This record gives sequence, structure tokens and C-alpha cells, in this order.
Amino acid sequence: MRLDTLHTAETPEGIALSLRPAGLMARSLAYLIDLAIRLVVFVVLALVTRAMGGVGTALMLVSYFALEWLYPVAFELSRRGATPGKRALGLRVVMDSGLPVTPAAALIRNLLRTADFLPAFYGAGLASMLLRRDSKRLGDLAAGTLVVFTDSVSLHGEVPAAEPLAPLRPLSMREQAAIVSWAGRTRRLTPERLEELALIAQPVLPAGGPLDKASPRLLGVAQWAMGRRNGHGNGKGTRP
Amino acid sequence: MTPLQFEAMHAPLWAELEAEIRIAERKRKFDGARLASLYRRVCEHLALAQARAYPVHVTQRLEALTQGAHRLIYRRHDYGMARLGRLVLVDFPQAVRAHRGFLLAATLLFTLPLLLAGLAAWHDPGFILHLLDAEQVRNFEHMYGDDADAFGRKRDADDDWTMFGYYIMNNIGVGFRCFASGIFAGVGSAFFLLYNGVQAGAVGGYLIQAGHAQNFMSFVVTHGAFELTAIVLSGAAGLRLGYAWIAPGRHTRLESLRLAAQQAVVVIYGVVGMLLVAAAIEAFWSSARWVAPGVKYGVGGACWLLVLAYLGWQGRPRRIGPSAGKEDGHAR
Repeated sequence: MRLDTLHTAETPEGIALSLRPAGLMARSLAYLIDLAIRLVVFVVLALVTRAMGGVGTALMLVSYFALEWLYPVAFELSRRGATPGKRALGLRVVMDSGLPVTPAAALIRNLLRTADFLPAFYGAGLASMLLRRDSKRLGDLAAGTLVVFTDSVSLHGEVPAAEPLAPLRPLSMREQAAIVSWAGRTRRLTPERLEELALIAQPVLPAGGPLDKASPRLLGVAQWAMGRRNGHGNGKGTRP
Repeated sequence: MTPLQFEAMHAPLWAELEAEIRIAERKRKFDGARLASLYRRVCEHLALAQARAYPVHVTQRLEALTQGAHRLIYRRHDYGMARLGRLVLVDFPQAVRAHRGFLLAATLLFTLPLLLAGLAAWHDPGFILHLLDAEQVRNFEHMYGDDADAFGRKRDADDDWTMFGYYIMNNIGVGFRCFASGIFAGVGSAFFLLYNGVQAGAVGGYLIQAGHAQNFMSFVVTHGAFELTAIVLSGAAGLRLGYAWIAPGRHTRLESLRLAAQQAVVVIYGVVGMLLVAAAIEAFWSSARWVAPGVKYGVGGACWLLVLAYLGWQGRPRRIGPSAGKEDGHAR
């Protein structure tokens, strides 16, 4: 069963972009921030326009309209593709294809807020977001948009330096990839867990020598798999 | 080739693309051709890196690069006055005509209740109390009575500007809601059309019965051409959304909804424009007491003709064939 919620979009070049849809919590918080900003702006405007008589009242009513309906549209069409609230949480709105939103899509998804709001407090939108893997509300469904995290999480870092060690037998490509990506996670795992995982690779590890722990040796194998060889730094070893 | 060799060999190219993306994101002017060719090269590298199961940090870097460049290269640029002109002259009226069936349904859903409620309120002055309370009815009578400073003005409104703002906020909001609630199988749009029809009909019927026919009709006739049509149009667009979802045809339901929304939103663009015009007319022209009712009827009639002709004929393609001499509307 798939656990992650990655949404892949294929580009004309045949590259699969993976987009990370934002869930209910992040989006609700972004909405609350936007709500607060809109409230403050409206109160300030109301105070300023009160002194201006009829034209002032007109301005106030028009700005109320704009804040209710056009605030998200305008910000989502900007270069960053996000309202201030979304930006604060590192979100942006994109089309299903990973491209910036078009004006039509931005308008559709924000007009359909009305539908999402029903029966009360975004009931329909919440239900839709909870039921779907890509957390789309009704507006997103109709517009073909996604709210995604701007930055990708990097769980893997650089492979730490170690003396390259040849494995006991030739490793398949998948085995090599598994060992290298294990090595990329050294910073995020506790040494105990790292060692525990390294023990799975025990059968291919060369004999201990001075090192009786498995993980330093497996790091050596990882360097070997990356192509480093003893002697020449940027080795010429071929992959099996 | 080992991952290390691969990285060492292509790192300069990746750095160049990174720099290009940064420039393009900041400035308007950048070397698009160079960006595109770098992007394609890096796409190749990403495909290779994925196929050869290179370390995750390498593929992730390439993914980030290609994503950034993809966003820049495939974004659209053609939003300007030309696009707006095409929308007004061609796309909007064409989109309206493409919704013919829904338009008919929406018109019936709006006008039938309007006429029925109007007749009911005209026959029975008490009928309106089923819909509004006595205070509201008194307000309406005050708004269109012979002693009103300006027709249709609320008691707490100072002048025409206030009403202009109010009409924008209220009417465009109603239009939007009427459209959006259509996503629930069209029920929401149908409800809003019916509801607004009944309200408008009842108030109209009551006022005519109460002897304010001249004041009320001359008030409504001009902006009604834009306002009533716009509400019916947004209802039709909403019905379209609902229908797409109920009867998706050869698409999946979601796909069908998405396609319908894309076409229906063009109608909504026009609705916004029409409601803006309506708000201006309603606030500054319709309410004016100094304009004789006869003039208002004349201008109003002209507006109705204009709107209907615009929606019916504007933007039709040129006819090809023996009758090519005759042209319908302004073909592009």
C-alpha cells in the first residue's frame, strides 16, 4: 500500500515531477492567517473610509467585496503563486501539471469556495480534502489545481567520507542503490539504528579487521559503489 | 559510469542552469533559448540518474532544477489588453451561445417564478408577507414611493456612491454564489434562480399593486437588462457544472467537471463585467428622479436590445459560401 501522497506530473520531456500536496492542517492554518490579514486590512480601511462620506462607504463596500472574493485570486496569480498565509506555511497553488495557475483556474477554485463552505465552516471542502489522497477541495477538483509544499523534504544528505571497501561479491544495481541511500541517511538516523540496518548487509561485508562494527565498513562499501577506489580519488571502477 | 564521475562531469552544466533559473525568476529579460536547451539536457540527466539508481541527493537536486525550469518555460504570457479584447468581442458571447440549453433552463427557472410570484402579489397584497416581514415591505414602499429622494435607495444610505458600492458587493456576490453552488448537481444554482425570481417577482407585483408601477418599472428597466441577464447567465453556468458531474459522457466525472468549469468560467468573466455596468447604471441612472420615466423606458429598451443582440450575434465567425456577402456581427 502506498503511504506517501506524492502526486506525479509528467512533463512533455518525459520527466516525472513529484509534487507534495499539502494536507488539511497546513491549509487550515494558512486560511486562518489569511483570514486574520483580511480582517485587519478591512478594519483599517473601514476606519479610514468612514471619514469620507458616501464615496468612502462605497470604497468600503467594494473593498469588502474585493477582500472576500479577489484577495486569493490576485495573490495566487502573482509570481509566488500563494496568498500571504500560504506563503507563511511554505505552500503554493499549482496546476495538476505542476505549472503556475492560470487566471481561469484561480478564479474557479476561489469562486467554488462558496460550495466548499457549505453546509457550514467548509464542511464540503473538509470532507473532500480528508477523503482524497491529494487533499483537493471541490474548488481544486473543478479547477484542476493542487496546493503543494514549495520545498521538497530532503531525507538524504551527502554520503559521508570513508575508505572505499570492495564488497565480498559483485552487487546488483538495486543492492548498490540501497546501500548508497542507506549511507545518505547517516545524519538522520541514530548510530544504533544505523548499525542495525547495516547488519542486514553483513553477508557482503568484507571481514572486520580493526573495525568490528558493521556500519563503518558498509560506509566503505557505499563509497565503493559510488565509484571511489583506493589510490585514485575519482575512481574508474565499472558497475557490474 | 559511476555516480561520482557523472556528478563531476555534469556539475558545471547544473550550476549554469541553477544560475539561469535564478536570473529568470528575478528579471523579466533572460535568455530563454539557453534556458530551454539547458533544461532539456538536465532532463536527460535526471532520466539517466533515475534509471541507474544514482544516490538520492543527486536525483533530488536534478528534480529541483527541472521543476524550477519547467515552471519558467511553460508558463503562459498572453494576458494583456489583446486577450481582454478578444474575451469581450468573441469569447464571452460565444461561450454564452455554447450554453444555449442551460441558458434556456436557467431563464425558465428565473422568469416563471418571477411571473407567478408577481401575479400572486398583484392579486393579493398579503402574499408578500409570506416572503418578507412588514418592516422590509414598508422599506420597499418607501424606496419607490413618490416622496423618495432617489429610487431604490436604502434608508441608511447617504448617496448614490454608497449604493454603487452596495450593488457591487451584493450583486456580484449573488452572481458568484449562483454559479458556485451549481457544483452540487445544479441544485444550488436552481435554488438561487428560483429564490431570486420569487423575491423580485413578489416585490415587483406588490409595488405595482400599491400604485408605484411607474416608479418601480422605470427604475428597473435599464439596469435590469444587464443585471437580470447576468444572474440568469451565472445560473446557466452553474447548471452546466452540475450537469457535467451528473452526465459526464465519455469522460470521467472529474475530467468532465474540469472541462465544464473551464468553459463556464468564461461566462463568469462576462457576468462580472455586466454586473459592474449594472451597478453603475443602477446607482447613478436608475435611481435618478430628474430623468423622466419616458426617457428611462427608451434608454432601457435600447439597453435590452443591445444586450440581447450582443449575446446573440457578437463574435460569430464569418460565413463562408454563396451568402458570404452578408455578415453576422463582427467576425474576427
